[in-house]
Amino acid sequence: MNKDQLTEKLATGKMSRRQFNKALASLGATMVMMPMGSRMALGASGDHPTVFTWEGWEIPELHGDYIAKHGESPNFAIFADEEEAFAKMRAGFKVDITQPCTYKIPMWYDAGIIEPIDTSRLSNWSDITPSLKTIPGTVYGGKQYFIPTDWGQTSVLYRPDLAPEYVDNESWGILWDPKYKGRLSMSDSLVDGVMVAAIYSGAENPFDMTDAEMAKTRAALKEQLPLIRFYWDSPTEVEQALASGELVAGTTWNDSYATMKSEGHNVAYMSPKEGAMTWVCGFCIMTDHDPAKIDKIYDYIDAYMSVETGVYEITEYGYGHGNAKAFEQVDPEVLADLGFTSSNPDDMLGSGIFQVAMTNEAALQEMFDEVKAGY
Amino acid sequence: MNNAVTPSGIRLELRKLFLKSEPVRGYTLLSPTLLAMILGLAMPLVVLFTLSFWLQEYLDFIRTFSLANYVEFFQKPIYVKLLLKSIRISGMVTIATVLLAYPMAYFIAFRVKSNKLIWLILITVPFWTSYLLRVFAWKIMLGYNGVINSGLKSLGFLTEPLAFLLYNPTSVVITLAHAWAAFAILPIYVSLEKIDRSLLEAGRDLGENAWMTFLRVTLPLSLPGVIAASLLVFIPTVGDYVTPSLVGGPRGIMIGNIIQSMFGQSQNWPMGAAISVMLMFTVAAMIGLFLWGTHSYRKRVA
Repeated sequence: MNKDQLTEKLATGKMSRRQFNKALASLGATMVMMPMGSRMALGASGDHPTVFTWEGWEIPELHGDYIAKHGESPNFAIFADEEEAFAKMRAGFKVDITQPCTYKIPMWYDAGIIEPIDTSRLSNWSDITPSLKTIPGTVYGGKQYFIPTDWGQTSVLYRPDLAPEYVDNESWGILWDPKYKGRLSMSDSLVDGVMVAAIYSGAENPFDMTDAEMAKTRAALKEQLPLIRFYWDSPTEVEQALASGELVAGTTWNDSYATMKSEGHNVAYMSPKEGAMTWVCGFCIMTDHDPAKIDKIYDYIDAYMSVETGVYEITEYGYGHGNAKAFEQVDPEVLADLGFTSSNPDDMLGSGIFQVAMTNEAALQEMFDEVKAGY
Repeated sequence: MNNAVTPSGIRLELRKLFLKSEPVRGYTLLSPTLLAMILGLAMPLVVLFTLSFWLQEYLDFIRTFSLANYVEFFQKPIYVKLLLKSIRISGMVTIATVLLAYPMAYFIAFRVKSNKLIWLILITVPFWTSYLLRVFAWKIMLGYNGVINSGLKSLGFLTEPLAFLLYNPTSVVITLAHAWAAFAILPIYVSLEKIDRSLLEAGRDLGENAWMTFLRVTLPLSLPGVIAASLLVFIPTVGDYVTPSLVGGPRGIMIGNIIQSMFGQSQNWPMGAAISVMLMFTVAAMIGLFLWGTHSYRKRVA
C-alpha cells in the first residue's frame, strides 16, 4: 500500500482493521527507532567535556585558549537558573563542568555533586582577585570547590525618559510604583526576584529572614503582582520590552545594560539607594565527571580565567571578571561607561548586598508560587 | 507431532500458532510500540505514584509511606484552586477549539468536492513548526508592538497599544486554541465524512429544514468526532505549563507550572508527584463523566 492509498483509505474510512494495525505497527516501529539516530549525532564530539552554563557564557570568545589548544569548543548545555540545572543533574543528566553562582555552592556541596579543584593545575589562579578566592561557602576543609570567574550586579534597568523622577532618586521602589502599573518586570527567580521584595520590604538580612520579615516580603510581592507585566525567564524578554516602551523598568544583570546601551537605547542602570545586589559566579567540577577528560576540564576552566576572556567579558557584557589583570587592560573611561565605579571588585561587591545562600529556600519558593496563584 | 521436536518443526509450530491466533499476531505487530509504552509510560507512572507517597527533606527523600503530600494538597487552598483554574482555562480552550473546528471540518467534509487531501494538509501546516514557535507567534501577534497593535495603530484606531491583549489567561486560551486546532478538526472531519449522505436527504425529504436536519441527523452522527476532539484538546491542555509561562503573565499560571516548580526550583519531587497524580485522577474522573454524559445524550437522540 503506498502513501496515497493510505491517506485516501484513511480519509474515506475504507481501511480494514488489519491494514490499519499494520500501518500503526510500522509507525510504532519508526517511532521507537527515531531517537537512536539523533543520539548518535549528538555524540559526535564525545572526547570533549560538557559544560553546563548560562546563556551567553558559552560563546567561543570566552574560551579562546581552549580552542587554540584543542581545535574546537567543548560541548555545552544551557540552563536558565541553577535550580533547573540542579534538578536536571539530580535526574541523571551527566555534565563535567558547571558554572553556578556562590549562593548555590553550599547546597551543591551538601548534595555531594561537586569535588575539590586542584588550583595548582590552573595557570591563571594566581591572578584571580584574592578576596574572591575565599568567599564563604566555597572552601571546605581548606579545599577550593569553586573557581570565581564572573561577578556582577542585579539591579533595575529603566528608561530615564519614561520615569524621569527616578534619575536622581534611584530606588528599588520603582518596581512598586503604581504609576507604572503593567509596565514593570521582575526576574522569575528567588535570588534575583523574591530577594528584591525582601530588600524593598526592609528585611535586615534578606537571605536569612525571620518569620515577620517573610510575611512582609510576601505582602510586598502581593502588592507588586498587579503592577507586573510579566516575570521574566530570559534577559532578552525584558530587553525587548524595555526597548519598545512596553516596560518602564525591570530587574536585570549588567549585560542587559551593556547590550542595550551598545544598541543605542535610552536606558540607565540603577545604583539603588537600598543597595544593588552583587554576585559571583564561577566553575565547579562535578564528582561524576568523565575521568578521561580531566585535563580538558582544567584547560577549559583555565582558558576562561585568562586575561583575554576577562577583557572580552568586561567590555562586551559589562560583567566583572575574576582575573584582576583583565581590568588593567581596559580603558578606565570604558569601565566608567559600563557602570564600574571601581576596577577593584572588593569596592563594588562590598558596596552592594552580596548574594549568599538563602535559608529556607523551599518556603520562599512556595511563597512565590502562592502569590502568583493569587494568595 | 514427531516433527515438533526438531528445530524446523518448532519453527513450523510457531509459525502455525502465529498464523492461527489473531491475538498473537496482533501483539507481535504491536510489540515495539507496546514495549515503548511500558518502558516510557507505565514505568514512569509507577515511579510517580510511588514518589507521591514519599516525603522530601532538604536533599533527600524519606522513603516511608506517607499521605502527607495528599493531605497538604487539600489543606492548602493553592493546589485545588489552581487545579480548578486549569480545568476552567482548559475547558474554555476545548469549547473554543471545537466550536471553531466544527465549521472548518464541516466545510471540508461537505463542501469541498475535489482535492480534499490538499485541504487536510493545509490544516496541518501550522504543525510543521514546533509547538514553542507557535506560542511565540502568538506573542508576536498579541504583543505590545505586535501585529494587532501596530496594525490598529497604523490604521488610526489606536494611539496607545492595547496592553491587555497579552499576558493574561485569555491569551493562554487563544494560544492553546490555535495550537491544538488540528487535533479537533481532523477527528470531527472523519466522523462527518463517514455520515451516510442518504440520511441527510431523507431528513430533508421528510420535511425538516436544513437547520433541523443538522441538529437531528448530522450533529448526533458526528458526535464521536466531537467527543474525540474534546478529549484530544482537553487532556493535554490541562497540564500545559509552557504556554501559561510564556503568554500567561504574572497571574496566568496553571497547575502544570506548580508541578514544574515542585520538580525544579522547589526541589520537592514527592509533592510534585502527588499533584500530578491528583491532576490525573481529576482528569480521568472528568472524562468518565463527560463520556457518560455524551453516551446518555446519544441514547436519547438515537
